Amino acid sequence: MSRPTIARQPAVEPAFPFTAIVGQDEMKLCLLLNVIDPRIGGVLVMGHRGTGKSTTVRALAAVLPSIIRVAGDPYNRAPEDIHDAPPTARANGHAGVSSNTHRLDKLGDRPKPKVERVPVPVVDLPLGATEDRVCGTIDIEQALTRGVKAFEPGLLAQANRGFLYIDEVNLLDDHLVDVLLDVAASGWNVVEREGVSVRHPARFVLVGSGNPEEGDLRPQLLDRFGMHARITTITDLALRVEIVKRRRAFDADPAAFAAAWEKEQRALRNRITRAQKALAGVALPDPVLARIAQICMHLGIDGHRGELTLARAAAALAAFNHSPRVAWQDVVAVAPACLRHRLRRDPLETVDSDEKIERALQACATEP
Amino acid sequence: MSVSVRQPANPPDALRFNEIVGLDVAKQALLFLAVDPSLAGVALAAATGSGKSTLARAFAALLPDNAPFVELPLNVTEDRLIGGLDLEATLARGERVVEPGLLARAHGGVLYIDGLNLLDPGVAAHVMDAMARGIVQLERDGVSAVHPARFRLIGTFDPGDGAVTGSLLDRIGLIIPFAPQGDAAVRAEVVRRNLRRAGAPDAAGDDAMLRALIELAREQLPHVAIRDEQVDALARAALSLGVEGNRVDVFAVKAALASAALAGRADVSDADLEIAARLVLLPRATRSPEPAQVEQQAQPAPNVAPNPDRPDADDPASSPANQKQTPQQIEELLMSAVEADLPADLSNLPFAAQRRGKTGSRGVALNYRRGRFVRAIPGPLRGRKIALLPTLLSAAPWQSLRAASTGSSTGSPLRSASTGSAAGAVVRITRDDIRVRQFRDKAGALFVFVVDASGSMALNRMREAKGATIRLLQNAYVHRDQVSLIAFRGQAAQVLLPPSQSVDRAKRELDVLPTGGGTPLASALLLAWQIVRQARSRGVEQATLVLMTDGRANVALASGQVGPAGASTGSASTGSASTGSADAVGADREQIARQIRHLAHRIACDRINAVVIDTQAGYLSRGEARALAGYLNGRYVYLPNAKAHQIAEVI
Repeated sequence: MSRPTIARQPAVEPAFPFTAIVGQDEMKLCLLLNVIDPRIGGVLVMGHRGTGKSTTVRALAAVLPSIIRVAGDPYNRAPEDIHDAPPTARANGHAGVSSNTHRLDKLGDRPKPKVERVPVPVVDLPLGATEDRVCGTIDIEQALTRGVKAFEPGLLAQANRGFLYIDEVNLLDDHLVDVLLDVAASGWNVVEREGVSVRHPARFVLVGSGNPEEGDLRPQLLDRFGMHARITTITDLALRVEIVKRRRAFDADPAAFAAAWEKEQRALRNRITRAQKALAGVALPDPVLARIAQICMHLGIDGHRGELTLARAAAALAAFNHSPRVAWQDVVAVAPACLRHRLRRDPLETVDSDEKIERALQACATEP
Repeated sequence: MSVSVRQPANPPDALRFNEIVGLDVAKQALLFLAVDPSLAGVALAAATGSGKSTLARAFAALLPDNAPFVELPLNVTEDRLIGGLDLEATLARGERVVEPGLLARAHGGVLYIDGLNLLDPGVAAHVMDAMARGIVQLERDGVSAVHPARFRLIGTFDPGDGAVTGSLLDRIGLIIPFAPQGDAAVRAEVVRRNLRRAGAPDAAGDDAMLRALIELAREQLPHVAIRDEQVDALARAALSLGVEGNRVDVFAVKAALASAALAGRADVSDADLEIAARLVLLPRATRSPEPAQVEQQAQPAPNVAPNPDRPDADDPASSPANQKQTPQQIEELLMSAVEADLPADLSNLPFAAQRRGKTGSRGVALNYRRGRFVRAIPGPLRGRKIALLPTLLSAAPWQSLRAASTGSSTGSPLRSASTGSAAGAVVRITRDDIRVRQFRDKAGALFVFVVDASGSMALNRMREAKGATIRLLQNAYVHRDQVSLIAFRGQAAQVLLPPSQSVDRAKRELDVLPTGGGTPLASALLLAWQIVRQARSRGVEQATLVLMTDGRANVALASGQVGPAGASTGSASTGSASTGSADAVGADREQIARQIRHLAHRIACDRINAVVIDTQAGYLSRGEARALAGYLNGRYVYLPNAKAHQIAEVI
């Protein structure tokens, strides 16, 4: 009836160029700032259907600068990561250990591993994914054919030092949410299976998108996202006509369309690379920092994640704009996206959260 | 468990596309879809037995290369839908064999769903994902695979059964929102054709002709041009109909192009725009267009910011020499042609229905106890139901490994089951293998009684509310509804019964009913809202507030009463919302009224149904309860001497 297929040949789908996406500037900026400084902690994109949420996230991969990793490393580790903290892989009992896990141990002893340049990974965590594929598990094929316990890394390994994207994040299974929260908090993924124990780094920028009408997000998960971009239907007619034109051109000939936009794509990529390098040198003047703290206090935001995110996002924006220090405008530009999901939900409140943030910004701007 | 899915697209004695009468608009939409697969699909409103499945099959027969026709059963399980490990073949061959799911099998052909609105939300999410990406990405059960899944979706829905998930409908380009009228002549024709279907030679010829026509149109499609002002007009029409999202413009334009291509034209005509608006925009309308806007004179020239240095191919639209219609004129033409089709009651349209939020969310939740079996997932047993077969299957591949390391600390064998006949044969199952059954179930509704326990009439009100609560609970077992009761008096509202399905508990907890004192209505509304929010986080969608009061509040909320939502989990079960100190006097009254309005508005915004039962004697009533019902966007019922059975009936 149906021909069974052997797994894994990722179909290469040409993605719509990031720079050709019309409008939705807030979402695009949030994503770019997270590329410049992954410590910002990810982006949650919520908005109407049909507004290009997932198109934009999936377009991101093509403008990301590359990273250097140990050649062939399934965890995308940089050479220095391996010296710092070799992932532990050990097998109990007398069953064989995979070539994979052997290599992990050996790499730690090697002084200079071979390296390669690869694109920053953008990994899709699809609906219906199960925990074994997310975290990694024992390779079933090797177990069957050779009676060998080989650890097969999962999506978290693939996403290390890159992006993990969850579309329809509000539909994600609760137990997967728990796993993600754990790993996101520690930066490590730990798997115990069939007596094999593996611990590997899993630091990634979490990007989620969804439609608020489909359901609420668990507060703990909401809190994990550094920034929260809101998107709405574009109502500007000229922009809408332009969207249609570009979509048609892309559908007619994706390759030609991509070629036409390659110059912009390259320019953006270079700008991101420069910003990444400049970031460490961006100064955060004390008065600006003080005001950042004021805003968060003013809005009654619990904890310090608000301040940290706001400061980091503002610095990343300054770096993106080739500016040597964070200015007040940088803070103003990123404050709504950094803070709107951290405000308390107040049933008596009729004021929109963005408006509240706006007011707090104004109040803090005028204070000495 | 083999559902036969891949029949030859159209058996020889089946009706052919051209023979199916009475579904003209639908046929037109399907032809567009045949010409341009990126229109994604056709959603047909149709009552059962109106010939839609015949139509879908006949359509598949028109597609080239023996296109597959896959019917998606509504109760499909996740692994059948997206695919998974074929354990049998994997064990036999010693290599991972992946069995593609139904979505992947529909690749290049037609996916047919009868009853789009009855589709499980989880299944719908997978269908949407495949439509968005053109692939199915599988990351489960040790399998990582990507299957192409580009298909044309044909779905039907009976509007009487409730709305289709908005985001699913949004991905389907063409929608026919109304079932065809039951025209007697047409029906007779259907029967007649059904009778003489065997060997009608001309019908087969027609099919071949249609196929050729589609082929021609497909070749023509890249050469059809649409003018900027026409695109603009479609976008305007989308805006004035209140259509959400920007994807719709692309669909509308593509439909217009397909229409022109089928007519063999190289330009899009007004008629093409009209049919595009009819099939794409109109069904998504959420409001009636406002007549003739004023902003017509001041229309700035379109300047698209993001990319000024890109060579602008041609811009004839803005040059006045080109005496063509303005987008406004085209839109007016378009709207006047289409408006007649807009139903007087917009709520008959699928998207408008959702905005109302009544039938849109069906209130289904995953659980581990009952409902429709969705899938087996790994997890601790803890009183859940074990999925025996999946558990054994997940243990199967590891048996030889585990046998090799018997005695050592491989895994943590929970128990070993002897298979009996084969002496010594043992299945080693570890904690990791355990799979539990996950179900999806219609979550019951939550009824929150909010009862005014202040004043002299309170005792009677409370007694009847208690009676109604228990009455509801006795009926609720079938629907798995829950009931909660809040009383408000003195300075604060208090939860007397947290959401519960238990009649016994209700009887016990409602044993003592305190009455008398002030009327802290705001506090009660706040508490009710919090309870509903907590219930929603547990999957209860439908919530109804039953408010029994005269609506005359005189105690305000205390400042700082409002905590972060969710932080007070559980507090509602025992807690009480404390309120300000003094009874209302003077300026306070205004503040109380404002709080109540805000809270009522919030409750209405969160789509919580409300019924206000006015218990005030007529000659005393000042209409507060009626006004409150208005703020809550709810129903107002006047029952001065409410009896328990009356209340239960009202709800």
